[in-house]
Amino acid sequence: MSLLTQVVARLLLAPLLVLAVGILVKGYTDVGDGFAAGVLAALGVIMYAVAFGAAAAERLLSVGRAYRLALAGLAVALAVAIAPMLGGEAVLTHSPPPGETPAKLGTLELITAVAFDVGICLLVLGTLAAAAGLFARSEPGAVR
Amino acid sequence: MPSTISIRTSLGLARQSERAVPPVEAVLALVMAVLAFAAVLIGWLAGGGSVDVPWAPTLGIRLAFALDGIGALYALVASGVGVVVFAYSIRYLPRHLVHMERPLRDGRSFYALLVLFMLSMIGLATAQDLVLIFVCFDLTAVCSYFLIGFERSEAEARWAALMALVVTGATAVLLLLGAVLLYARYGTFSVPQLASRVEPDATLAVAGALFAVAALAKSAQVPFHFWLRRAMVAPTPISAYLHSAAMVAAGVLVLGRLYPLLAPTGAVRDGLVLAGLASALVGGVLSLSEDRLKPILAYSTVSQYGYVVALYGLGGASGATAAAFYVLMHAAAKSALFLTAGAVTEATGGEDSLRRLGGLWRSMPVLAGVSFVAVASIGALPLTLGFFADELFFKAALASGPLVTLAALAVAALTFTYMFRFWSGVFLGEGPSVASPLAPGLVLPQVLLAVVLIVGGAIVAPFEQLAEAAGAASLGVPAPAEAAYHLDLRTTNLLAVGTFALGGLGLWAEPRLRPLIAGLAGVGARAGPERLYRAGLIGLNRLSDRVHEIEVRDLRTRVATVLGPGAVLVLVGALVTPSAGRYRIGPISLEDVGLLAALGATAGAALAMTRLKRHLPMAVGLSAVGFGLAAVFALLGAPDVALVAVLVELTLSLLFVATLGRLPAEVLSREARLELPRGRRLRDVLVALAAGLSAFFVVWSFTSSPRPRGPVAPELVARTEAAHAKNVVTAILADFRALDTLGEVTVLVVALVGVATLLGRGRAT
Repeated sequence: MSLLTQVVARLLLAPLLVLAVGILVKGYTDVGDGFAAGVLAALGVIMYAVAFGAAAAERLLSVGRAYRLALAGLAVALAVAIAPMLGGEAVLTHSPPPGETPAKLGTLELITAVAFDVGICLLVLGTLAAAAGLFARSEPGAVR
Repeated sequence: MPSTISIRTSLGLARQSERAVPPVEAVLALVMAVLAFAAVLIGWLAGGGSVDVPWAPTLGIRLAFALDGIGALYALVASGVGVVVFAYSIRYLPRHLVHMERPLRDGRSFYALLVLFMLSMIGLATAQDLVLIFVCFDLTAVCSYFLIGFERSEAEARWAALMALVVTGATAVLLLLGAVLLYARYGTFSVPQLASRVEPDATLAVAGALFAVAALAKSAQVPFHFWLRRAMVAPTPISAYLHSAAMVAAGVLVLGRLYPLLAPTGAVRDGLVLAGLASALVGGVLSLSEDRLKPILAYSTVSQYGYVVALYGLGGASGATAAAFYVLMHAAAKSALFLTAGAVTEATGGEDSLRRLGGLWRSMPVLAGVSFVAVASIGALPLTLGFFADELFFKAALASGPLVTLAALAVAALTFTYMFRFWSGVFLGEGPSVASPLAPGLVLPQVLLAVVLIVGGAIVAPFEQLAEAAGAASLGVPAPAEAAYHLDLRTTNLLAVGTFALGGLGLWAEPRLRPLIAGLAGVGARAGPERLYRAGLIGLNRLSDRVHEIEVRDLRTRVATVLGPGAVLVLVGALVTPSAGRYRIGPISLEDVGLLAALGATAGAALAMTRLKRHLPMAVGLSAVGFGLAAVFALLGAPDVALVAVLVELTLSLLFVATLGRLPAEVLSREARLELPRGRRLRDVLVALAAGLSAFFVVWSFTSSPRPRGPVAPELVARTEAAHAKNVVTAILADFRALDTLGEVTVLVVALVGVATLLGRGRAT
């Protein structure tokens, strides 16, 4: 890959991740959601892989770690879904309920829906990065 | 196999496999059969009972079992013959498995399947709900499939098992169809309720015909009789249980249970009489044409059940009772004969041809006597249970007119002939066959059955009562059948004597008529239903291969086979639906210019792709189309969708280009230069045009129709604030429809597993 592509890829990686986090967190008030954030972050990893090759991308985010990231995201999403049932309410009942003001961290509101979104983001990031990594690792003509 | 030093070994009796303790599964099966028999008998003598619990309340299906006359009779037959067959198998199965070089633990599946079969027969006998009857009906067919195909390594066994399953299973669907028809009309699946509600009309006639066909196929009647002869490849105990006493009895059991639903329609009854008498004749002739023991008995079973079916068809006060009585007698006699055939084959080292057997009465006197009793019972000689069975048969025939009586006489004489041909061929005459001594376990079960038949010949009352109860359960009114010895010149006695005379004549004439009989059997083999079945299966296989070939030939063909017919269907639908006001063109204002430009750019990129030949430009073209669509979404006022569209398009383009990079360059350039034949190109163009047109019309008509202002969208927008959100799309994804999102992302993880499996195969680890 040419020098320009490599430089651009290396420079863009961090901002892309920051942008992804931003979309994730601000998705509740602005354009964007967990899915877009996940795809954006995965795009950074894929771009890195295209520019530097499969081996470098493996060092950045290995396929195994990407698997675990995806499963962690699924676990978070399932936890948000099932936790209310332990308290006797229906599945996926978000807290705080309508009417109550949620706790704030600066301008960020801490609500379970955002946690659900975080889970989705991790899952999508993990899935796409793992799929891309598997693809990069496979031999040409491996898929029959 | 644990072996114990028992008294027998110290006395030097018995052989290797008999020294061993019977396996635990065999004893368990025998105990279960004995318990089942005792339970049914005690329950019946105590006055019967019933179980009725809801099963699928919204459909009105109940788990309703009732130990009434029919239930008791068929359940006693199933469990009683089960006891005998299990006792026989204890000695028979180990020798059989050793002979077939199979491990002895294969016996476990044997007994498990037989016990399951016995339980499903008892369930079928006592079931009072049409869907429950269907389930048990099919359960017996499934058990039969595995049992006929017990010798999995033999192609003949697999073919026979499949044939039995296809014939009985396909017709069982007719049973369900009839049940659904009656449910749609009368609102219930329960047999007693239907029996009180039905009126003779077209629905009942059709349903009755469907039930009748299903029962005929199960009982191997003409034209479905061919599967029973093929099923004789199964081991002897299975033939003795399933294909003489139990599974084929399931068909006539359904006839008896659903009799109130069949009887009102005269055509169905006449059809049953016709099918029954035809089966009796055909079965008899084919039995005479066969040379090997088990096929003779198989066709004899076809013929005997023809009697029963005809009796149900003749109906009336005597028909149903006579039919039940006949089933009872036949079960005992036929299973004894099958077990005898198995023992004879064992003793003579695998000999089962009638020509080569003979004179075995000297070496196997007990077996000869026992099978004589069984044969005499089927041939309706006095002092056996069968005499009364035929007496009731003639009584029912006489009540229906001279033609039926004549047919009944002919059929009875034929039965006499082929049964005694069997017996004399094996036991009488001079035979070169040498028989080794048999273990008592292979003879005693038949002795038990013979005792039942002889006792029935003297004390017919208990059997009569059971049959009367079954007949009453069928008819709904008491159905007495006076079966007794009358030493006078009444017509039934005359007919019985006539049977013996004609039968004896047949025995004498049979060797001379052999060419004629063989000719008739040959006609049946060449033009009969089995031929049709074979041709049908082969044709079906060929069709499936053809379709598969078309589908996997190449990617373009596969896509064309999906898009082409789909597009044609949609276009036909568009042509036939009224199109007044369906397709509208609205006004174009200045604000729409940007949207039109984006749409135009997308369309242009798509058109340009048709001219591209090399792969990399094609990938770029595809992403251009994707980005154009994202711009369209943004201009339509859906920024979230546009964002996701752009991101996904970027990812896919990167992956696409990366994949292309992994392929060897010469492969890509070769594929780019490939020239398709003209016909194929034309086909691709036409299919693409048709698919595009159909999509065009669908989208046009959809966007032309006024969008229904449903309550959902404004509600969602209104509640966004309450969900602590300002972006309704994210609120929908993470809150309102979060369960859908959860499902979708789970699919993503599953897809990842699939990708990993596919790609992981090529790796050199």
